Amino acid sequence: MTPPAIETDELSKQYGETVAIDALNMTVEQGEVYGFLGPNGAGKSTTINLLMDYIKPTSGTARVLGHDPWNDVVACHQRVGICPDRFETYESLSARRHLELVIDTKRADDDPRALLERVGLADAVERPAGEFSQGMEQRLALAMSLVGAPDLLILDEPFTGLDPHGVALVRDVVEAESERGATVFFSSHVLGQVDLVCDRIGILYEGDLIVEGTLPALRDTCDLSSDATVEDIFMTLTDGSASTTERDA
Amino acid sequence: MALPRWFPVARKEAVTLFKSKAIWTLAPLLVVWGYGPTYESWDVLGPNVTVGFVQVAGSVLLPLGVLLLTYRSIIEERTSGSLKFLLGLPLTRTDILVGKVCGRSVGAVVPFALSTVVLGTIGGVKFGLFSPLRFIGVFLVTVLYIVVLVSVATAASAVTTSAVRVTGALFGGFFLLLTLGWKRIGVGIYSAVTGNAVNPFDPPADGLLFAILRVSPGRAYRTVTNWILGVGNSGGQYTSVIDVLYRGVSTNEYVVDAAFSGQAVPVYLHESLGLVILLFWGVVPLVLAGYRFKRGDLA
Repeated sequence: MTPPAIETDELSKQYGETVAIDALNMTVEQGEVYGFLGPNGAGKSTTINLLMDYIKPTSGTARVLGHDPWNDVVACHQRVGICPDRFETYESLSARRHLELVIDTKRADDDPRALLERVGLADAVERPAGEFSQGMEQRLALAMSLVGAPDLLILDEPFTGLDPHGVALVRDVVEAESERGATVFFSSHVLGQVDLVCDRIGILYEGDLIVEGTLPALRDTCDLSSDATVEDIFMTLTDGSASTTERDA
Repeated sequence: MALPRWFPVARKEAVTLFKSKAIWTLAPLLVVWGYGPTYESWDVLGPNVTVGFVQVAGSVLLPLGVLLLTYRSIIEERTSGSLKFLLGLPLTRTDILVGKVCGRSVGAVVPFALSTVVLGTIGGVKFGLFSPLRFIGVFLVTVLYIVVLVSVATAASAVTTSAVRVTGALFGGFFLLLTLGWKRIGVGIYSAVTGNAVNPFDPPADGLLFAILRVSPGRAYRTVTNWILGVGNSGGQYTSVIDVLYRGVSTNEYVVDAAFSGQAVPVYLHESLGLVILLFWGVVPLVLAGYRFKRGDLA
């Protein structure tokens, strides 16, 4: 039996008095595309930061592809590709150098140029990332996450800074990686862009996973019609009280 | 044999430095700083005066330069978020620290090595062939000193949460107090502990005083290089040691051979123990910082 791609059990993170995520129980099966949605400040990045060992939990446990994400980092990250949120690239290093860092550390045999072509950066291979626009940096990070054909692809707000072509590119990449057999876990606060690519959706709100399931199932749960969007579902579940977080969303 | 997992990180760090203007500016400055022949040192050392140039190059400007090249290496990535790429790789946090130290060390050794070659060439042409063993010996000890400095700066960079704080700790604390001003501070500590006032021009033959002075990484470095150079047992610059021991000039430099003239020198003041002190500075701060870095939140 293959372990879930991601499994959290009562996972919590507090910063002083502030509860960032509260006893999160979530399971992402291998092979699925899971959209991790919610407004800014809901705890999506905190969850991903925990799963990636950027930060340590206050309590609770998690498994990533069956590995302990905090004590078995090498084995775990060997099989995970991450496209982080809120990052800068290394300004003096070329796009190719960025990819070589990941390829050589993962001991993969990818061709940097091929990966950069795949994300539309074929003509920027030797350019230093300091010259890149935000969208190009996002594409570069996406290419880095694809190195070594990871079993689990974690994309944290992958649509940030992208134009419509970039958004379409991310969707294509998600589909292709899913086709290959990879699990894709991505977060987004833009609720409208995700219904097309996700098998399942989880909505995080104020540190809690308030609902989880396929889009039709969520519509049923909320008693909504079959053309209801993720936004409609979200508004129904949060009773319109999203206005408190709307301002920074 | 496979390369260690942290090797690509080290390569990235070295390449980052190679692409910066700083190291290529540092190299000629080290030559200018280090080159300083005097009649007195020529009288004592002959052609080996060139070896002394390397020590001077390694003494004030080099530590300052190495700290400047390193102190932001982790805090900068933490602030910008690029650390998320490194942390997302199949590496332990220890691997990341080791890769940082090794890569930055290579990047910092290069300008020093270039300036050493230039100093050796100029000195060799002007003052004749020096002892290649002593020259290489001082070069290698300086390389060790560079690694130690990179290690200390990386440690500070790893545990701080703001670039301002690491700047204060490294340049105010480590560089100013421990490297530049330690002679005065070390003597002050000795006087406070023992109650003995110290006349710097005629220091007492007390092992404790010299041991305290030697704790400074900069003075430990010069103790070892003076030993290789063969000028005397002291953490001062080789020219000052020559002034004290060969010219009878009264200076405020602390030289074991002068203070203990005729008396037995404690074993722990042997010059080779300067290497142990350097290793201490290279290992202990990094291990302590690593302990915290491994457990902390980094995003």
